[in-house]
Amino acid sequence: MSDATIEVLDLRKRYGRTLAVDGLSFRVEPGTVTGFVGPNGAGKSTTMRALLGLDAPDEGAALIGGRPYHALRTPLLEVGALLDAAALHPARRGRDHLRWLAHSHGLPAGRVDEVLEQVGMETAARRRAGGYSLGMRQRLGLAAALLGDPPVLLLDEPVNGLDPEGIQWMRTLLRTLAAEGRAVLVSSHLMSELEDTADHLVVIGRGRLIADTAVSDLLAAASGDRVRLRTDARARAMELLTAQGATVAVTGRDTLTVTGLRAGRIVELLNADDVPFTEVGAHRATLEEAYMELTRDAVEFTASAGTDEVAS
Amino acid sequence: MTTPTLTPYRSRLHPARAGFGRLLHAEWTKFRTVRAWPVVLGVAVVAVVLICRLGASGSSTSGGGPQTFGPGGERVVDLFRFAHRPLTGDGSITVRVTGLKSADSRSIEPWAKAGIIVKQNLQEGSAYAAVMATPAHGIRMQWNFTHDTAGSASDVATAPHWLRLTRRGEHLTGYESADGRTWSKIKDVRLPGLPRTVQVGLLAGTPAHNNVHRAFGGTSETYGGGLVTGTYDHLALKGTSTATAWKSTDVGGPVPNGPTPQDAQPGRTNVSPSGTYTLTGRGDIAPAEDGPDMVQMSFQGVFVGILFMVALGTLFVTGEYKRGLIRTTFTATPARLKVLAAKTTVIAAVTFAAGLLATAVGFSLAQSVLRHNGFTPPEFPDLSLLQNPALRAVVGSAALLSLVAVLALGVAAVLRNSAGTIAVVVALVILPQILSFAFPLPAAQWLLRVTPAAAFAIQQGVTRYPQVDHNCLPESGCYPLSPWHGFAVLAAYAVAALLLAAWRLRRRDA
Repeated sequence: MSDATIEVLDLRKRYGRTLAVDGLSFRVEPGTVTGFVGPNGAGKSTTMRALLGLDAPDEGAALIGGRPYHALRTPLLEVGALLDAAALHPARRGRDHLRWLAHSHGLPAGRVDEVLEQVGMETAARRRAGGYSLGMRQRLGLAAALLGDPPVLLLDEPVNGLDPEGIQWMRTLLRTLAAEGRAVLVSSHLMSELEDTADHLVVIGRGRLIADTAVSDLLAAASGDRVRLRTDARARAMELLTAQGATVAVTGRDTLTVTGLRAGRIVELLNADDVPFTEVGAHRATLEEAYMELTRDAVEFTASAGTDEVAS
Repeated sequence: MTTPTLTPYRSRLHPARAGFGRLLHAEWTKFRTVRAWPVVLGVAVVAVVLICRLGASGSSTSGGGPQTFGPGGERVVDLFRFAHRPLTGDGSITVRVTGLKSADSRSIEPWAKAGIIVKQNLQEGSAYAAVMATPAHGIRMQWNFTHDTAGSASDVATAPHWLRLTRRGEHLTGYESADGRTWSKIKDVRLPGLPRTVQVGLLAGTPAHNNVHRAFGGTSETYGGGLVTGTYDHLALKGTSTATAWKSTDVGGPVPNGPTPQDAQPGRTNVSPSGTYTLTGRGDIAPAEDGPDMVQMSFQGVFVGILFMVALGTLFVTGEYKRGLIRTTFTATPARLKVLAAKTTVIAAVTFAAGLLATAVGFSLAQSVLRHNGFTPPEFPDLSLLQNPALRAVVGSAALLSLVAVLALGVAAVLRNSAGTIAVVVALVILPQILSFAFPLPAAQWLLRVTPAAAFAIQQGVTRYPQVDHNCLPESGCYPLSPWHGFAVLAAYAVAALLLAAWRLRRRDA
């Protein structure tokens, strides 16, 4: 049995004149939820299709457990994939959709009921897929991915269309699956969707790797030495701290964000000058902020990117 | 970088090998669970059965005139000028044929006949064997109407030719010679039950002229006329004969097939003092092919069934491409050619099973309607479902429906688009039939040879004999290829579509 890993090695894929993936490499380890992030057209879906053997790479390799997809004997038992939740025949019942998948691997019928229960679709699966909401389709797609109880999961935008409750459910499920020792790759074009879910991030733009980092490291770096200060004397505080070489940004009616001075030094300075304040604390960046900082270069890049964006 | 501390997960399910049987199961589940598809299949069965039955009720016959049946029970024409003597026991007849030409104002028919014959008696339809010269098909040995063997390509219009027929018991052997000295054997045949005394002598006859006027929406085909004169010398009979003189008879009566009976004159026989025999006669010795085809008439619903099969074969593939479901399919089974094979097998099996039910029931209903409408034995013998040609037509029509579905599936896997696929397959299978009614005959027959429409030949119940010329008119339900050759054309198209589909599946991203 192979290791539950996903490996992309110097992957290149071109569609006509458009280079969709341009020398991308990364690796997803078992036991983690890895967020696969980038704007629409960055090459996420192309990479996933290459991993699933649907599109042939022009160069490089996309491997599951060290092997190309077409070498897998029983792919559903090794990789679960959710590419496009809309890929259902509208006249077929959800349960029948899972049934033919199960039959293709000789899986017992009971397994279909198990995964339907796991995603909360026991009742809806008796109806035709044509009447499903996007959220129901996502759940059914996830059930299909889980059908073979695989050690590797590839999920393309799985929370798309879920209600807040559904998003919370999905987060918990993904965390649980990773905690069991599976390698989970979740793509998204919205970093906020991965908040509290991903352990690790692979960020790409225009088919190239921008960052491959642990979420904790990224947040630490993004939070940097910024300090949040709450004060009624906003103007005096700004004058004083700027004079000391800090960069001060107004972030609210009575809040400032200070860069360039540590929190302790700020308290000293404010006390020395009798400037009143109610709160000083280290600023904790959101994942979204960290992402924006990270992709600042890529955004400039996007602004000049003309017509050759690829729809993913 | 997070360092995983957990051991990698392993599926708790047993890795079952994805064998082909499982793929078939998966594809069958796919077919079964889109409810419209089994419903369409059921509707197709009902439509085919109903139209077969209704189509048959439009045909009736009042029986026509008296019919002649050959030794094998088939309908035959047995009309010719016969100069004969009885022959008892073994013996032989030898003659030199010096000429064969038309005796009316029209040019001679390619299958006009002048030669020698050994016949059971003078009754129409009795057993015989003959060696004969023809204008366009050289020297032939023919026996019992349905059998024909070619000799040399000699033409008696350019040089006289010698013919010999010997009888030994039930065995008859034909010979031919250019000079009367060196003989070559054509064939030795056995006529079971041939009596000790038979009639032996000279024959002259010709098929009737055939006039066809075709126009879109109407065709008139008339048979009539035809009179030939054969000249012979060096006539020699060896063996025991109770008669010393040659007697002439118009086998089948003097009025075989003239346009109006009173115009028809009896044949003539002249013997010159130098021993030259001149026989003038009309009529033919051949299987009859002019009657309605009771088998083919029972399958009029198949044409409509094809439309349902095209739709099923197409949607079974394009339904997956339209919504990206094909990616799920190829993710579950990366071996794309196996998926194609499984889809083909499932669609072929379900359409064949439904087709067989439809054609068997449709044929049986149509047959009972036809019997009710006057198509009765002996002219129209009862056709058993378990015997050819009915069996071939019933199973063949089901296979035809199935192959059309497979063809549609293959084209769909190439084009990945429903409208385009249905247009292409209908243009290939249905359009040639319609165009063949309007096109000039050579073009029409060419169409029915090279397009999948050739496969409808499998429904033909009338055996087409090469020794009988007939206008193969598409509007009369005639297909130029033999049943299995025609069927092979459709099969070749289906295989070609699948190969093209396989090539594209391997080559292209999904």
